[in-house]
Amino acid sequence: MLLTNLGLSSTGIVNARHRNTGLTGRRVSPRARRWLEGISLWLAVLLFLFVHPVYAEASETGHEGAGEFHFVDDAGQRLGSATLLNTDYKVTVSGLIADTRLRQSFRNTSQQWREGVFVFPLPENASVYGMTMTAGERVIVGEIHEKQEAKRQYTQAKEEGRKVARVDQQRPNLFTTRMANIPPGETITVELNYQQAVRYQSGEFELRLPTTLTPRYMPGQALDNGPAQWSGGWATPTTQVPDADQISPFTVLPEDVGPDSHRATIALEINAGLPVSRVSSPSHRISSTWNGNTVEVAPESDAVLMDRDLVVRWAPARGMEPAAAVFHEQWQGEDYLLALVVPGLNRDQQLARELVFVIDTSGSMAGESIRQARQALLRGLDTLGPDDRFNVIQFNSQTHALFMESVPASANNIARARRYVKGLNADGGTEMAPALDAALDDKHGDGENTSAARVRQVVFITDGAVGNEAALFGRISNKLGSSRLFTVGIGSAPNMHFMREAARYGRGTYTAISDLSDVARPLDELFGKMQSPVLTDIAVSWPGQTATTEAFPGRIGDLFRGEPMVQVVRGLPGKGELEVSGLLPDGSQWQQSLRLDQAANGKGLHRHWAKQKINSLMDSGLTGQVDEDAQAEVTRLGLKYQLMTKYTSFLAQDKTPSRPAEETLAADSVPTLLPAGSQGTMLRYPQTATLSPLLIAIGLVGLMFSAAITLLQRRVFA
Amino acid sequence: MNRLILLLATTFATVLAVGLWIPFKALVAQELLELAWAESQARQQQTRPWPWADTWPVARLTLPETGQSLIVLEGAHGESLAFGPGQVIGNGGQAGPVVIAGHRDTHFRGLQHLETGSRVQLQSRDGDWRIFRVDRIRVVDSRHEQINTAQLPRDSLLLVTCYPFDGLENNGPLRYVVEATAESLVTADEARSALPVEAVAGT
Repeated sequence: MLLTNLGLSSTGIVNARHRNTGLTGRRVSPRARRWLEGISLWLAVLLFLFVHPVYAEASETGHEGAGEFHFVDDAGQRLGSATLLNTDYKVTVSGLIADTRLRQSFRNTSQQWREGVFVFPLPENASVYGMTMTAGERVIVGEIHEKQEAKRQYTQAKEEGRKVARVDQQRPNLFTTRMANIPPGETITVELNYQQAVRYQSGEFELRLPTTLTPRYMPGQALDNGPAQWSGGWATPTTQVPDADQISPFTVLPEDVGPDSHRATIALEINAGLPVSRVSSPSHRISSTWNGNTVEVAPESDAVLMDRDLVVRWAPARGMEPAAAVFHEQWQGEDYLLALVVPGLNRDQQLARELVFVIDTSGSMAGESIRQARQALLRGLDTLGPDDRFNVIQFNSQTHALFMESVPASANNIARARRYVKGLNADGGTEMAPALDAALDDKHGDGENTSAARVRQVVFITDGAVGNEAALFGRISNKLGSSRLFTVGIGSAPNMHFMREAARYGRGTYTAISDLSDVARPLDELFGKMQSPVLTDIAVSWPGQTATTEAFPGRIGDLFRGEPMVQVVRGLPGKGELEVSGLLPDGSQWQQSLRLDQAANGKGLHRHWAKQKINSLMDSGLTGQVDEDAQAEVTRLGLKYQLMTKYTSFLAQDKTPSRPAEETLAADSVPTLLPAGSQGTMLRYPQTATLSPLLIAIGLVGLMFSAAITLLQRRVFA
Repeated sequence: MNRLILLLATTFATVLAVGLWIPFKALVAQELLELAWAESQARQQQTRPWPWADTWPVARLTLPETGQSLIVLEGAHGESLAFGPGQVIGNGGQAGPVVIAGHRDTHFRGLQHLETGSRVQLQSRDGDWRIFRVDRIRVVDSRHEQINTAQLPRDSLLLVTCYPFDGLENNGPLRYVVEATAESLVTADEARSALPVEAVAGT
């Protein structure tokens, strides 16, 4: 605008000068006068040429700025979000259940009233059972409602200007917190309580706390619903992922959010119930303090960046690894029992195998992830025996197999595969379905005799960054045949829900790599399991079991080496003996019994049971919609056990309005951090203009200005 | 007084010269890049146009509509864009999506003459030409939209420049995005045989 004024005023001077030259004509020679007139005319023409775009631009910027999305300023540079986020995790592990109190604080740094929306991950097996909203002095305990009802009440409170917070489940491991009416300059804290089962395998416990998510690929055609409108996520709904906009928070780099946001303080207290000998973490530097049987663990830095999962592993003292355990809890007059039995399987099997490695080379794998994935695959190739057959399949937008069909693991073929793997790069989409089809299709076997004798195993190496998980699980369970599917999670924030469930439907098991330096251990564990005998047809019989006894999971999946059988049951007293039996690959029977009368006290077993029951009900929706009965039953369980489900949400609302009716409410979607080491698929548009036109304009205007002054001066002083 | 005016005039003349220097540099650099491109094609390796350059030619982009032929440099940082359009993502003109950004005041000024259906050609280091057809041209607000590289089809080409073309502001939020899809591939040998006579005569 300054420039426009300058331009206009100098135009005025030009006009004035025309008159002036006329007046001073007698004193300047006619030749010089003509020369000066010519120059000024040209300059005036040039000036108009450059003033025009200034107007054009002014009208261009007039209609923008109506959007409410303020992460990026006019210059296209990212600004810190107006809502600062900090989280605090306090985890208490007792036995097999980890209970977490998660506090999310949202500080409104703007001058406006805000509504904040935050999409965040939780562990894939988390059951959220409590929520509290704290605004200044006021503490409001959240209540569980049916999702639609919570939504309605939230909208109402939002419009009436009352402080309100709501937490919804988008995916089993993906949730959304919404808070409306955060006053300018104030902080609202949403506290969530959730519990999860700790993973125990091969004598080691593992707990994973996700803090961010890898941006997911949304397959399918964009749903045609008018012009694309910004709705809180970077993705628009597609035919295969109708809620794409709900699960695609913008991802930003740590430097974009500033030093005060997206930091987490984490503290763990481990009461394993037995002496813990070592605690380690492949993802963070941690410090541990022993206090009897309790270990207090915390990352060395006070506030860690929320750009990767925190993984903590702990192992009992040598020789103290539990082979069986029983926990008991009484809740509302009913007994809940959780039993864990580790079958002692020996590694003595060398069956010929057909191994199919599938590697995700989509754009979300770019950066550190693809290096980890290549490393994982190369390690997998090392485990091939001389009698094995194998193939390598990569997929992004397209699926490509190295060999037409599985080939013998000859030195030549393996060398070729190694070269192929080393040359893999990550770009494009994540079209997982065709890759699964190609990997699970075992019709290419070179003869019935050989393929029948072979164990067919598929190793699926991916970050699981897709939005259509449920459809993929359905596909796996339909096409599995006699194969087994093993998943390897890659990157700083893999979608562990996908890893676990894909492996479950694929009758395999899963693992995850957090870091290039942590490739060996999880993979050796996984490949070891794949080469060891598998316990199948597992049957569990509880003493006093009747037809109505509900034990979950209802059907125990096959157990690999080092994996425990875990089942939770309701309504049985802790008496008698539990019988667990299974079938070994050589046809022999495996059997173990466990006395239940020495059960240790457990906490949160009732929620664990309800969660397991909800999971089994939700499984029915895999191939299509969850039927209405199941939906009603899930809602009922959610309300009874105060658990967040797909159909129940937590809501906390203030009773009195705090926002004056005349103040407006601006929506602010809080971004998540790009997982560490990931290149990110969301690319900012580069800066593509130079200062040249501006400089030329200023130069010309200035020169004209100088010329005008010269003329004036000559008139005055000559 | 005269001195003051002289000072003023010199200052503005310098500003003007700096302003003109940018398009001039862009023009001259392309000539130098031609040499580097020819060398990198001949040797089939990255060739820096001058020893201290932090970028190198990766492809040649021609816009038959405007008769422009540009050497595309690696990266879309300030240094590379000053000399030529920069390849934001892409694999040197080979398979996979390609995103090229250029300054609207210099190299990519010609983008405003492209229309839906126009042809754009991209030559990779091995001499193969990929011919793209413009599907869509749109203006995006970079504050609200980002390029999602995962959703880009493998055979797509995106040309990005600032908008409006005659704007003065050098860091405005609007971008002009030309989206094109690969139509055909002309290998180096085919291109040579189909080359106009005078080009052959010139060698």
